Amino acid sequence: MRDNEENSLPAGIAPEGKIEVPAGGLVLPDSEKGNLVNAWSLSLVGAVAVLTVLCTVWPDPYLDILRFVPEGLLVTFEVTVLSIICAIPLGLLTGLGRLSHNRVINLIASTYVEVIRGIPLLVQIFYIYYALAKFLQVSGLTSAVIAISFCYGAYMGEVFRAGIMAIPKGQTEASRSLGFNKVQTMIFVVLPQALRTIVPPVGNECIAMLKDTSLVSVMAMPDLMQYGRSFAAKSYLYFETYTIIALIYLIITLLLSKAVSILESRLNYYDKRK
Amino acid sequence: MLRRFLCAAFLLSTVLCSSAMAAEKIVVATNPTWPPMEFLDDNKQIIGYDIDMIKAVAAEAGMEAEVIMTAWDGIFAGVAAGNYDVIASGVTITPERQRAFAFTVPYYDVQQIVVVRKGDSASGFEALKGRVIGGQIGTTGVFVAQKSGVPMTIREYDDVGLAMQDLLNGRIEAVICDSPVALYYANQKEGFTDHLSVAFRTEATESFGFVVQKNRKDLVERLNKGIEAVRAKGIEAELIRKWMGE
Repeated sequence: MRDNEENSLPAGIAPEGKIEVPAGGLVLPDSEKGNLVNAWSLSLVGAVAVLTVLCTVWPDPYLDILRFVPEGLLVTFEVTVLSIICAIPLGLLTGLGRLSHNRVINLIASTYVEVIRGIPLLVQIFYIYYALAKFLQVSGLTSAVIAISFCYGAYMGEVFRAGIMAIPKGQTEASRSLGFNKVQTMIFVVLPQALRTIVPPVGNECIAMLKDTSLVSVMAMPDLMQYGRSFAAKSYLYFETYTIIALIYLIITLLLSKAVSILESRLNYYDKRK
Repeated sequence: MLRRFLCAAFLLSTVLCSSAMAAEKIVVATNPTWPPMEFLDDNKQIIGYDIDMIKAVAAEAGMEAEVIMTAWDGIFAGVAAGNYDVIASGVTITPERQRAFAFTVPYYDVQQIVVVRKGDSASGFEALKGRVIGGQIGTTGVFVAQKSGVPMTIREYDDVGLAMQDLLNGRIEAVICDSPVALYYANQKEGFTDHLSVAFRTEATESFGFVVQKNRKDLVERLNKGIEAVRAKGIEAELIRKWMGE
């Protein structure tokens, strides 16, 4: 599931290389524009079409299922948004901690990443909700947000680290020689540039996060998946129920991935000819 | 490639034929989270009333029961798909389930019991209005709570043990489940008996049956004969004494 942290470093370096292309150089065609048939639009149109056809032709199970689940969708969004809000700062801190020359901070951040990466998210959810309940009682929503943001904070930490490392050392040296201190250099020079590299993989992490919120149904959290399971358990219509659930997740994920790619192209204005 | 495929097909058919010839083995699925009907002992063996019962019934019908473990959520999908022959997992016979599956004759009667923490009480669903009740997903306890029409939050756990644990932890205020299971947690299970008590039981009685794929009437017939024989020989009474106590 998670091999993108390794990929993000080379992917991060690539845009830097593109800046060196002379103004008169060859500009690659933008794959997103002027090309209506691509994987994304095909998937979205296909998913929406299948959902519409199923609900109009066989409203008996399918429309009933679609009507049953919207409350679950709200919980799914709630968990996702709160987890994203917590995970991104955590990821940034972890990434900076991993790059820190202070040995203690570096060790803490690295240990956090190693430990969290080595434990499956499902186990973390069980641990926080059921195992830690002995000492500390937290609600289902809080447990879900803690588990997911801790898990993804570690993954995102690696993304932030890779993004920051992809900025050439010359940038830091120039900034320091102009009189900026280390913190100013990071905030005003390195991070703004690293952001272009960091945003796409962080966007991917957020999409993965939305999908992984389906795991919180083990805590009897009434999310989209739990509503689906509840409906299937009552009606014994497994095929119909999970088809609808899968289509809903797919449509949301496709819309989110479009949002990420729009954000990505906005940030890449240096790579484009105006 | 083709040769390999033919080889595999030949092997598969011999395996299938030989198992069909033996024919005396049935695969029984159970979700061992429902003590004392079915649960895991310290040696990770599946034990319980249902297990002894289906083994005795199968033996009387001239078959051998192989019991496998499966999750409750999806146990019905598995029998529908033909992954196993029988479900022996404290399954209540309901009209909805009868539309989708075939059942044997009832082999055990239960009611629904609501368990609360000691010191708390509830005389009926009305008393739980606006409160949080837990149960195992897809069990009749949850359905009964939903059909009661009383506005309360119903939380559906993967297994009843997690719901009981959350009741102890204080995140929910009641748990509803079959009477043998509720009594087991309230009266026998270590770590739970001191903290839990029975609030009330429903009036309606439910009956457990073994579940078989809809189109396998022959197997239902054989199992029904087995249940009859088990009853006639007094094995059933013995098993009830063994697992249910007084």
